[in-house]
Amino acid sequence: MRSKTRRAALAALCAGALTLTAAACGSDDDSSEDGSGTTITWWHNSNNEPGMGYYEKVAKDFEADNPGVNIEIQAMAHEDMVSKLAAGFQSGDIPDVYMERGGGELADHVEAGMVRDISDAASEEIEKIGGSVAGWQVDGKTYALPFSLGVVGFWYNTELFEQAGITAPPTTLTELGDVVAQLEDAGIDPISVGAGDKWPAAHYWYYTALRECSEEVLTDAVTSLDFSDPCFVKAGEDVETILGWEPFNPGFLTTPAQEGATSASGLLATGKVAMEMQGHWEPGVMQGLTDDGKGLGDKTGWFPFPAVDGGAGDPAAALGGGDAWAVSEEAPDEAVEFVKYLLSDEVQIGFAENSMGLPTNSAASDSVADPALAGLLEVRDAAPYVQLYFDTAFGTSVGGAMNDEIALLFAGEASPEDVVEATQAAADQES
Amino acid sequence: MTHEGATGPVAPTLTAVVTRRDERRVAPRPVGTGWRQRLEIVMFVSPALALMAVFVLWPVISAVRMSFYRWKGFGPMDQWVGLDNYRLVLQDEVFTDAVMHNFTIVVLSILIQLPLGLGLALLLNRRIRGRGLLRTIVFVPYVVAEVIAGVVWFQLLQPQYGVIDTVLTNIGITPPEQGFLGTPELALPTVFVVLTWKYLGLAVLLFLAGLQGVPDELYEAAQLDGASWWQTQRSVAIPLIGPTIRTWAFLSIIGSLQQFDMIWVLTHGGPANRTTTMATYLVEQGTERGNYGIAGAASVLLFVIAFVTAVAYQVVVMRRDTAVQR
Amino acid sequence: MTQQKKAFGAGGPVVYVLALVVVALTLGPVLYGALGGFRSNEQLAADPAGLPDPWVFTNYSEVVTNSEFWRYALNSTVVALITTVVAVLAGVMAAYPLARYQFRGREGLYMVFVLGLLFPAAVAIIPLFILVTRDLQLGNTWWGVALPQAAFALPITVVILRPFLMALPRELEEAALIDGASRVGIFWRLALPLSMPALVTVGVLAFVTSWNAYLLPLLLLQEDMRTLPLGVADYSTEHSADTAGVLAFTTIAMIPALILFLAMQRRIVGGLTGAVKG
Repeated sequence: MRSKTRRAALAALCAGALTLTAAACGSDDDSSEDGSGTTITWWHNSNNEPGMGYYEKVAKDFEADNPGVNIEIQAMAHEDMVSKLAAGFQSGDIPDVYMERGGGELADHVEAGMVRDISDAASEEIEKIGGSVAGWQVDGKTYALPFSLGVVGFWYNTELFEQAGITAPPTTLTELGDVVAQLEDAGIDPISVGAGDKWPAAHYWYYTALRECSEEVLTDAVTSLDFSDPCFVKAGEDVETILGWEPFNPGFLTTPAQEGATSASGLLATGKVAMEMQGHWEPGVMQGLTDDGKGLGDKTGWFPFPAVDGGAGDPAAALGGGDAWAVSEEAPDEAVEFVKYLLSDEVQIGFAENSMGLPTNSAASDSVADPALAGLLEVRDAAPYVQLYFDTAFGTSVGGAMNDEIALLFAGEASPEDVVEATQAAADQES
Repeated sequence: MTHEGATGPVAPTLTAVVTRRDERRVAPRPVGTGWRQRLEIVMFVSPALALMAVFVLWPVISAVRMSFYRWKGFGPMDQWVGLDNYRLVLQDEVFTDAVMHNFTIVVLSILIQLPLGLGLALLLNRRIRGRGLLRTIVFVPYVVAEVIAGVVWFQLLQPQYGVIDTVLTNIGITPPEQGFLGTPELALPTVFVVLTWKYLGLAVLLFLAGLQGVPDELYEAAQLDGASWWQTQRSVAIPLIGPTIRTWAFLSIIGSLQQFDMIWVLTHGGPANRTTTMATYLVEQGTERGNYGIAGAASVLLFVIAFVTAVAYQVVVMRRDTAVQR
Repeated sequence: MTQQKKAFGAGGPVVYVLALVVVALTLGPVLYGALGGFRSNEQLAADPAGLPDPWVFTNYSEVVTNSEFWRYALNSTVVALITTVVAVLAGVMAAYPLARYQFRGREGLYMVFVLGLLFPAAVAIIPLFILVTRDLQLGNTWWGVALPQAAFALPITVVILRPFLMALPRELEEAALIDGASRVGIFWRLALPLSMPALVTVGVLAFVTSWNAYLLPLLLLQEDMRTLPLGVADYSTEHSADTAGVLAFTTIAMIPALILFLAMQRRIVGGLTGAVKG
């Protein structure tokens, strides 16, 4: 086939040209004119301060320690980065250092031979990170180093909770219902959800599935793509129960997750709703959405997704995921060194101090400046297991179909059975 | 009547192929010898053809090829599935609904934008003060980028906190609780209102251009017969710009079938897939889900549907222009 | 025109009221953006529908002193200019023989351009991306965006220009031929100047389409090569808390296309008139 041979020819060309110039392969700049210079392209999604400035400093430090290395940073909005990466994978033009979310997506990239195996080169770091690295391993080989691994839970406004007379965060689904009722009585919109982006809505189903299904069923589902266990339908029924309380912000079906003051995160950050279920990045997002750059500040509270009565899942299990630095197959060796540097104690401590996420290097655990994130870190480390977001774990195709149908469930246009059927149908296409 | 033969910018297109009626307008007298003329033609046409071949045709062929494979968007394309992707797309309710939405927009455009645009064009064709300024103002939305218009309209349409909801509440109307874009039943009509705002300027622009071609003497004659302004418009102006109207309708239909930017910025096809179009479906399947084969099949189907509609329109509606001319 | 005619076509009060309503509906959203840029975020939050009070000028001054904004504006301008020049030149060259030559396969050739109208760029966006970055090595360059855009602008250009060129009086051509001019000479010295109004029309259409384009530049351009719509999208996510600043940025970003359109408006209507009259 034509494209195959051309691709192969290009790959060979790239391998040969690597020492001369990286311009044609993997990176599209040509600023490394002097023979000794190496340019590493790096894409990340910290396009807000302080993260953006911190990463610039990190790159400068690395350049200072490694003369001749030039790091080209591109900071962009998360959505932009995802679509550009997708296009990049298609054309084979991906940056040297980029973010991998693990799961089915990474497996596809590995299968296509685009990600570098760093098992040996970064063995020290892998050992240090420990079990968390599992989500970025394919057939026992490691392809990326997670730098932030977080769990999803409810972020809430402690002041609004007090105002509504709520003394303790809910621990069961029934209690969550009571809290919602109390908030509504106090005239406060209880929960915001960015169902317009689908995945924030889908997280509700993921979590109820995590509570209803045993760990074995879930682990099995990720590999066999079999969703026949009745616990998956029960998960949808639990979501219907939550929807029955009508707890969500007006217009939630088109509310974006985190773009703008009227996004789900914006509503929480500006005190218009009492809580939102989101990932570990929420405080950072909220900071960018408020004029004073503080987000909810001292009023930030967090509680885990409540237990579900009669569920087979462990109530302490957490839904989560993270971001890892991966190196493209065609990248210069220095890129691997740079990724190792990104996982070093020094960089991870700075990462934690700037509250950019939940560091995976335990050396940085005590440096997490944000008390809410520090609390989250404890929850993460105490969880019996962290289930990778289903859409990531199953890959974009099955995950997308699943999220779509869950969004329909939120709109009242699909049943719990429909969610399972649509997911199964998409999964059957995969084999 | 001389102006009955008028056709719009697109009108001579498909009709011409069918009837070859344009030939009478062109000097049938070849200049120079055959080879010389051929050389000239090649020289004139080749830059355009080269551009089209490289940047339109080749990518489209790739999309067609893509539609026969299961492909995630990277790595070798080697999993041939035949027509499976087409079957999947046609069985997918999201796609068939999207086709429905496209045709809803087509029909609404004709039913609503045509009278509106025509009324505006007639209004702006009157000798009222500030006419030039008015014409410019009507075209403003058409010139504003979709991304920019989307950002602004999204702010305007915010549930509760947006301007539109605030104003409605102030005058005693309760806006829909989920917002205009968030209520499944209202989403498509709301999107259509924004589309009308954005694209009505083009209709007015074309109609005005058509009206400028109506000779003054005809108005004067009608006026001498004692016809009122409106009667004159109805019996003289509107029939005369019939071909322009049919041309606009053609452009509008094609545009409606390809609708993407505005909807993508406003709703991403939501809520509950109520505002999806064929184009949002294929972009969603391609870039968001990595089902490039399905996206390829959807784009081929989009093309086929657009093509069939265009031909049908030419045969049924545009033929009138030709018939009159004969 | 006669005095009498003026009275006939003039508008009564109803017409002016109607015109005012149209103006309000059309300009409302744009004015909301423009005026919002003169307000502070607190004002916007307190009363979304209010007027600036007091007027805040810092939002706009921050945008126009922002060097990135000017960089984006430059990129948008260059990309749009290349697109326009290539599309108009290649378009008029193709439309000329299609309009004024007799040859076999002429309508078939024309059909190629008409069919081009039916392809949305979204259909081919991914293959296009591979082509531009991989095969042509034009990723992140002005030409890499401008050439595909010109190609996609060609169908409408040819389709508008052809009837216009057809309508040019044959007598002029014949006179020139008698004077010994070649067909190519006629094209340059006669057809091009005479079709100026139509060329301006298709030129402005190509320019505005390029100026507003989002999807293709998003995939192809990075960093300081980005165009204004990308800048707007980026700015509105990066400064998403700063609604007033976003409104100021979007308002200024739409001004250049508006000015161009305003300046050319009369010619565009004239140009389309020619095309529509066929």
